[in-house]
Amino acid sequence: MATPEETTRPVLACGEVRTCLLPSSRALSNKEAELLLRLRDDDHVRVSTRPGRHVLSPEILTGVDCRFPLANRAKVRGVGTVASRAALTEGRLLQASSYFRAPVEGPDRRQPWGYYLARPGTLLPVGRIPESACLQGFLTVREEGCLDIGSIAEALLARISRHTGLLDYDVPLRSAATKLWWTARPAAPGEGASLERFTLAEDGVRTVLLRVPRGTEITAVVGLCEDLALHDWLLTTMVEKLDDNGFGSADGTATLRVLGPLVDHLLHLWMPGARVDRTLGAVWEVIEEDPGFSRQWHTLVQRVRDQLALQAVMSQRQALATG
Amino acid sequence: MSEPEAVFQETSARPRTEGVPFAHLSLELGHLYMEDFAEGPERLRRHFAAVRPWADAARAGAVAPQHGRRRVSTCFLIDDYFSRLATPAELVPPLLDAAEHAGLTIDYLARESACAGPNEPRRTSLAESVMGRLVESPPPGSNGFRPPVSRTGWLANGRRAPAERTSAALDATGGWQPPSETGARGHSVFVDVELWSGSVERRTWSCAFLAAVWQLARLGLLRDRGRAVLTPTPWAADSFPADWDALPPLLRLNPTAAPFTAYYTCSVLPSRFLPVEHAVRVILEQTQVDTGAAGHVAGLSASEGMDLPVGAVERSAYVFPPGL
Repeated sequence: MATPEETTRPVLACGEVRTCLLPSSRALSNKEAELLLRLRDDDHVRVSTRPGRHVLSPEILTGVDCRFPLANRAKVRGVGTVASRAALTEGRLLQASSYFRAPVEGPDRRQPWGYYLARPGTLLPVGRIPESACLQGFLTVREEGCLDIGSIAEALLARISRHTGLLDYDVPLRSAATKLWWTARPAAPGEGASLERFTLAEDGVRTVLLRVPRGTEITAVVGLCEDLALHDWLLTTMVEKLDDNGFGSADGTATLRVLGPLVDHLLHLWMPGARVDRTLGAVWEVIEEDPGFSRQWHTLVQRVRDQLALQAVMSQRQALATG
Repeated sequence: MSEPEAVFQETSARPRTEGVPFAHLSLELGHLYMEDFAEGPERLRRHFAAVRPWADAARAGAVAPQHGRRRVSTCFLIDDYFSRLATPAELVPPLLDAAEHAGLTIDYLARESACAGPNEPRRTSLAESVMGRLVESPPPGSNGFRPPVSRTGWLANGRRAPAERTSAALDATGGWQPPSETGARGHSVFVDVELWSGSVERRTWSCAFLAAVWQLARLGLLRDRGRAVLTPTPWAADSFPADWDALPPLLRLNPTAAPFTAYYTCSVLPSRFLPVEHAVRVILEQTQVDTGAAGHVAGLSASEGMDLPVGAVERSAYVFPPGL
């Protein structure tokens, strides 16, 4: 729903995506996933089966009234709601997203709460925010008293992970969660979506700077960022697993113990851009060009398969030798 | 942004919202406790006689387009949730008679328990639905980390006073800080509303919370996964069962009545309900309504040339007449 302040002034969008393996020994069916992500009893859980299994929770809101994290350390108060949603891909990968839109100018004092609820997922500055300080600040400033979008996403993940009826907390492989912080500002009139930067930072943090065509639904941008985060998580996890195993060791069982779960749970999840809004498809093209996510993925997958083939040959030879 | 529609679609991935018809005004003709009914028909007659002039005034003042018929429906909510002293067969006919005696028609009769429990198998409880839609108004300084209302069962219109410390080093007033109403004009009127009591598995919803659900139902803002809820069941006004559970949750007693759901509500209530309705407004102010339902109302009212306020609070009004 477009609100009056968006027709005249630029609107920024920011968010965080947390990605992790579902704490469960097996992938959930769509029916189970629907139960898991029913964050509100009376709302729809969106279920898709093509081109892959994907279940999306309803959007829930968290009210905030605090300082914007601004790069220039200016103190501007923001009031409104941060939206959150969760997604489960192939019953296996769990993601929680929290995000908001912020027009650069808002009412000069806090309004009745109903005013903000009529603008779900919008954080209105009390006064004005400098555009670039806001975008930069969101990716860099983590100060007490400032908006803590990470704890909102974390609370959602925690809420879902408490579902003891559906989850057994027995994960088939150890992996780390990643956080992807993203910002999007409007592209110049007539220009399409573009990726300005994708950074792999430390501690599992990734940052993404986007420009999107004016009028793009924020949920489309969130969908793109979830897709980027999911594939980045797959690459990160694969690289880590292949890095720290003892390939070439005489005993093949160690290799199988590492590679088995990758084949069972991760290899079939690669499907970049499959659910991304068409207007934002160009962003994936850029990433495929440089650094080439799919190129790296296919190389890793090939390595997994080569290792398994090698193991098969070795064990056959061993069987012949001993037999 | 206009974009060609996708060739491949899955209906489970693209939810829809069912529409409902709308009157201009939903007029509630009072509310009574079970004890009031026990006082007999004369008590009921006094009630409706006191309501009548104010109901007429509300009808005359209904916001509606200048031309065309003004659609006003009347309703009455019977409390069968907190106590059931009499059966529908004993209680309803005298109620309808008393209203008629005052020249009033009750178009729709609802049971308060309908606002609580699920009314059909495999449907969501209306109270649970609204509970899941509360978005607390954040006191200044809220940056995203607070215990959710679903765990405490209390909803405030501001910041609570911090828990009192009992350190011996403090004097009688030391350490106390007042609560504050968010957005107060000068001084606070702080309210903390109990939404339910009991355990999460066996909740007893509060009167205020059920009254908030009732307002949202009348405003046509509730859905269950896109489907309409509390749809009226046509009912002949002369036969009522001996068991409340045998009575549908919402009855249409007048076959020619305007729709139950309306753009605005007006409730003519005894002033003893003022604190409850204040609590209702605290709840409504912090409820995020179904976006599909809100869009549906906005579209319908705009097609009639009406410009509705966005919030449910601004669409609900009250009359607390003297002597009621």
